[in-house]
Order: sequence, then structure tokens, then C-alpha cells
Amino acid sequence: MSHSPATRPHARPLSPHLTVYRWPATMLMSILHRITGGALYFGTLLVAWWLIAAATSENAFNLANQVLGSWVGLIVLVGYTWAMMLHMLGGVRHLIWDTGTGLEKDTSTQLAWATLAGSIVLTVLIWAGYLWLGA
Amino acid sequence: MSDMRTPLNKVRGLGSAKDGTGHFWRIRLTSIALIPLSLFLLGWILSVGGASYGEVRAALAQPLIALAASLFILISLDHMRLGMQIIIEDYIHGEGAKVTLLMLNIFFAVAVGAASVFSILKIAFGG
Amino acid sequence: MVELTLPKNSKIRMGKTWPKPEGATNLREYRIYRWSPDDGENPCLDTYFVDLDDCGPMVLDALLWIKNKVDPTLTLRRSCREGICGSCAMNIDGGNTLACTKGMDDISGAVKVYPLPHMPVVKDLVPDLTVPYAQLTSIDPFLKTVSPEPAKEWPQSYEDRQKLDGLYECILCFCCQTSCPSYWWNGERYLGPAVLLQAYRWLIDSRDEAAGERLDNLEDPFRLYRCHTIMNCTQACPKGLNPAKAIAEIKKMMVERRV
Repeated sequence: MSHSPATRPHARPLSPHLTVYRWPATMLMSILHRITGGALYFGTLLVAWWLIAAATSENAFNLANQVLGSWVGLIVLVGYTWAMMLHMLGGVRHLIWDTGTGLEKDTSTQLAWATLAGSIVLTVLIWAGYLWLGA
Repeated sequence: MSDMRTPLNKVRGLGSAKDGTGHFWRIRLTSIALIPLSLFLLGWILSVGGASYGEVRAALAQPLIALAASLFILISLDHMRLGMQIIIEDYIHGEGAKVTLLMLNIFFAVAVGAASVFSILKIAFGG
Repeated sequence: MVELTLPKNSKIRMGKTWPKPEGATNLREYRIYRWSPDDGENPCLDTYFVDLDDCGPMVLDALLWIKNKVDPTLTLRRSCREGICGSCAMNIDGGNTLACTKGMDDISGAVKVYPLPHMPVVKDLVPDLTVPYAQLTSIDPFLKTVSPEPAKEWPQSYEDRQKLDGLYECILCFCCQTSCPSYWWNGERYLGPAVLLQAYRWLIDSRDEAAGERLDNLEDPFRLYRCHTIMNCTQACPKGLNPAKAIAEIKKMMVERRV
């Protein structure tokens, strides 16, 4: 095809990004920190609902407890706990980074995996403790 | 319409907002406060899990619990709206949608906070 | 809403597979991003086979082997072939690095090569770096002084000079800049890791007298604070520098001057 030299022949494409980039552990934990933050944001609706129910009447409270105690409710609560632990440990990691330490390639990767492992361990401990206390 | 501005013109844009550190500081400050508060409340919830209506209300009426729960709600909502603001700014680029969501973000936090704290106070002061 | 997928004209087609070199037994497969401004087609991935017995060990060696022996239209930037010019920065095996210092032995399977991510493509592996260069210009990457110039030079103590180590070595290849998801989504407003590392290099230069003005210029929700410590920058830097740390130090300065 012909065109005058002064006009750009074709619009430049955008080079691929998300789909071709190999995710480092830190990138994975960064997006998980954001996703759990978002989940906790909407999770406050559950807390508010439970509090409002407790302030309203025994029936409303029992209904809330029933829903939260069902297996769907329990899955949500376990997920909520995990999100909270991961976001809290991720927050501690950010606070360490804010002091200017732990930002090296290797250390930051180790911190990322430690955050994930720690969040799972804490969630298991919390629910084990709950079942033990409840029993 | 072709854009004939220079690259430097676009990069400089409307200039620096001379702001951002306040947000950065506040999200850290609230995060530090939330660590002990959330651990304390988590312990409390574990201990009242499955408790009856009367027991939960009696526990929520204790000053220490009521205070910790209210602080937890208020501070976590502040932390949340700061975090959600960053998410909105990151991903939503249309001016109208962005401003609308930034407003809804604040309204959401204030509404959830008001309802929760009102409930706690109602129980604490014998509603 | 930010576009997490590629625009229509950027979606990658299947490309052609070039014939294997005759008589070669030690082959390595390369899949390379191709786009030409001349034909109006979408970009594609072409497959090549490199004769390792006839080629050096680095990815750049293989790219030049392909250009010389198979397909002279393959377009890329390169100059020094020893990691000091920063020209051959590209996305290799899922990470941004310099083709000249990346050994193909470090990669398993077919070697996939793309231009630096989320950039307009000029041709094949050549990205348009106009915006990052303008961003570099915007932070005034030069010594700013008010005091009368000394007769000989601006003196600097040994300790103060040491503070520039780990910063002055940056070759502006923009591997870190284009590895950052935050820069992908907000590259027009976020200055990005490479430019912020440069900004820090001038902020802590003991001879520079404009630190306050520099910080004023950076104090912005987008220019600086789009950094969310994703750490891709530090993971990518082919010179082993730490842009994330430089940015953390700038944030510390921002807090320091108001508390």
C-alpha cells in the first residue's frame, strides 16, 4: 500500500502485558492483599448486620446466627478469617517495607511466601481454637 | 482531533497535587491501630461464639467491649475507605464514574459505621 | 475502566513457522513477537529454530543469528552487547531483561520474546519509549544549585558519594518501568520505578540544593504514590539495582519533612 511519508501508516499496537508476564511471588501477594482488602470491605456488611440484629430483637439475632452457622455461613466466615489474617500479615509486611528494610529481591520473596503460609496457619489455629472452646 | 501537545506537556499535566503523604500516613496509622483491636475482638468473638442473645447483649454492654468494638468499626471503616480509594483511582479512569465511586465509597463507610456504632450504643445504654 | 486485556488491533495472531536450518542437529525454538507498521495486520508470534552450534550463548546472539541467517526483517534495538547501553531490553521468558546478558541456558523450553510490556510498538521488538523519556525529563535529572559556583568543582565527601552507589549504575533500559502493573494501568500519571529511582538519585546527592522543590514535584497521589510495592521492578532489574527501595526512601523523606 502507498501512503505519504508524513502520515503514520497504522496505529501502533500495545505490547502484551498481564498475559505474558511471569508472576513473581511478590506480585501474587500484592494482588491477594488487594483482593482480600476488597473482600473485607464488603465483609463489614456482615458485621454490621450481626450488630444491628443484636440491637433489634431476639428473633433477628437468632436468624443472623442461624445463617452464619449454616455451612454456607461457616465457609464465608472461614474465608473472612483467612482474608483478615492475610491482609493483616500483608499489612505488617508493608510496615516493614516502609522502614526501608526487607526490600531486597530474595528477602521480599521470602516475606511474600511467609505472609501466605502465616495466614493459612493462623486461620487453622483460630478455627481449631474455636471448635475446641465450643466443644 | 489530533493531540499535538509535546510528551513533556502531557507528563507534566496539571502539575503535582502537593498531596498524597497524608493519605499514605493515615492508612499506616489506622493499620497499626487495627492490629491489637482486631486481635482483641477476634478473641472475644471466639469466646462468645454460639452464645445466646442475652449473653451476647450482656457482653456488648460491657464498657471495654463496647468501646473496643466501636473503635474497631470506626477505624477499620476509615482504613477501608482509604484503601478502596486507591483501588478506584487505579482502575477507574472515566472521570464521571471515578468521581461517583469515590463519593459512594465515603457514603458506604459512613453509613455502615453509623449503623454499627448506633447498634452498639443502643445495646450498651440498655436499648 | 482500565483495559486489562489488549485492544482489538493488538491481539496476537498465530504467526508463521520458519523452516529449520538444514543439517543442524542442536536446535533451539524461539517464538518472537512480530508487528510491521506497513501491512495493517495484527501482531503475531513467529516460530524460528536457531542452530546452537553456530550461535553464541545469549538470547541476543540468537536474535541476531535469526536476523542474519533466516529473516533479515526482524527488528530490534541493540548496541553494546554487554549490558551497559540498555538498548536490547525486552520481555524474555516472561520477565523483562536485557537480551545480551540473558543466557538461553537459563530458560527451559521454547524461548518466548516480546517487546517491553504495555508499550506502543514501533516495529517487532522495538517499543516507543517517548513517554518514559519525557517522565525522566520532568524530574530534572541534573544538579540544581543556587550557591555561587566554586572555582574548581562541587566537593562531595566520600560517605556522601557512596550514597549514589546502587543508583548511578542505572542504564535507563526501562525493564523495571515496564514490569510494573501500576505503571501499566496508570503510566500517563505514575512516574514509574525507573524515573523515581532517578529522582531519588538527585534527591540524595549532597551537592544538589533543590531537594525540597524536587519533593514538592513528586508529592502527588499518582506521580509517587501509585507505587504499591508490587516489587516487579526490583525482581526485573538486569543490573541488580533496587528501584522499590529507592521509592521507599522517597516516601520516608515525604514523611520526614512533615513530622
